[in-house]
Amino acid sequence: MSTQRPRNAAVTGIGVIAPNGLRTDAYWKSVSEGLSVLDTITREGCGHLPLRVAGEVRAFDAADLIEERFLVQTDRFSHYAMAATVLALDDAGLGSTGPENPYDVGVITAAGSGGGEFGQRELQKLWGQGSKFVGPYQSIAWFYAASTGQISIRGGFKGPCGVVASDEAGGLDAIAGAARGVRRGTGAMLVGAAEAPLAPYSMVCQLGYPELSTVEDPARAYRPFTEGASGFVPAEGGAMLVVEDEHRARERGAEIRALVAGHAATFTGASQWERSREGLAQAIRGALAEAGCAPEEIDVVFADALGVPAADRAEALAIADALGAHGTRVPVTAPKTGIGRAYCGAPLLDTAAAVLAMEHGRIPPTPNVFDVCHDIDLVTSNARPAELRTALVLSRGLMGSNAALVVRRGGENARPSGRT
Amino acid sequence: MITTEVTVDELAALMKKAAGITVDPLELAQSFDAPFGTLGLDSLGLLGIVGELENRYSRPLPPDAERCKTPREFLDLVNDTLKAGA
Repeated sequence: MSTQRPRNAAVTGIGVIAPNGLRTDAYWKSVSEGLSVLDTITREGCGHLPLRVAGEVRAFDAADLIEERFLVQTDRFSHYAMAATVLALDDAGLGSTGPENPYDVGVITAAGSGGGEFGQRELQKLWGQGSKFVGPYQSIAWFYAASTGQISIRGGFKGPCGVVASDEAGGLDAIAGAARGVRRGTGAMLVGAAEAPLAPYSMVCQLGYPELSTVEDPARAYRPFTEGASGFVPAEGGAMLVVEDEHRARERGAEIRALVAGHAATFTGASQWERSREGLAQAIRGALAEAGCAPEEIDVVFADALGVPAADRAEALAIADALGAHGTRVPVTAPKTGIGRAYCGAPLLDTAAAVLAMEHGRIPPTPNVFDVCHDIDLVTSNARPAELRTALVLSRGLMGSNAALVVRRGGENARPSGRT
Repeated sequence: MITTEVTVDELAALMKKAAGITVDPLELAQSFDAPFGTLGLDSLGLLGIVGELENRYSRPLPPDAERCKTPREFLDLVNDTLKAGA
């Protein structure tokens, strides 16, 4: 019998496809400089809709990274996820060859809406020309599970695979699922989420959300935690991470960029923003407990920052409820105000930003937000230098899910995970 | 002869259009007995090609068309069907 060593889930690779950067380093440069790329939506067939401002991924050519046979059978949301996966694998030093043991690598993605653009195109053929004109890939391309499946097939990853078909907060649940997979014995997990909600059908679906901002000025459309808060703007893109058994990663000489230390999720009902205070606070407590982390150890909070006054108030109060006096002192940031909310991709982009912030010792600012009207220390205007060992990432979904994730800094100076 | 025959060139073009697979017609002719899988074409891709041909010739192909394993098997079946119906 070998002695059981604890298996910590380490982040060893990050791949980002975002409106403000098509690679991880470009994303971090934009985020740390507080660049806002919110702009008028330019996608074909969308100009007449009352949703005008979003974070579009522009100048992205999926064919740079992904073979055409995978592109023709998938929607844009999977293109982003597959491209981010290539970047994450390269970053982790796992990109050059296939997996040594295919069953030791799994895939989990989260998806909020699937492939609306692909689905619309094929359904238009169905009603315009007839069922014979619908392509067979309609049967797989628009499903929530498409990205997990295609990443698995393309990479030859035959370990545990899954999909979190949930709200925005499902992005954090997916990371937790990957960490569980590693703790249960899988060597590495590809995990993340990317979304493509900027197509006519997808946008019409979103118009029913009372939280959606229809403000036409990109500088004023998404300003959470201010008196001018008028809802959120959507974004495309997301991020994929390589989450790996820490021991395995060290054995192969990989850099430990962060440790996934704790997570918890709760549910408080669709658009019940006052109630999300309790749910989010409980999620934070759960994540801290799993991480073995005291509230005072949290060095930075990446806020959900919905931009709806009642939701912003609930979040500020939840942070104070869960972290006590530390809750009003800890720096809080929301870099997503510069790019919009990429649904399930949003908490992945925030987690990537949290890891990068810990590595660079800089808390990125919250673009377009200057006049904070809640009792939190929101980082605005410029990045704030800080020694960061532990970050808390928060996410809420429009349908009522709340989640919190604690990540610890990797590297030699990192504290051991709470699980040791 | 009526020119309803689907050629290797056309099959290569259909593989590109329906399944995103770039294959040189000469290479395709040389891999005439290779399984579609080795060319990168999966079952849904072949189904898409069957659909394209059915629309192009305005007639159904037999159910076995989408189960063909090789380019030779597929083109023989398709062209026999088209000739029989011509």
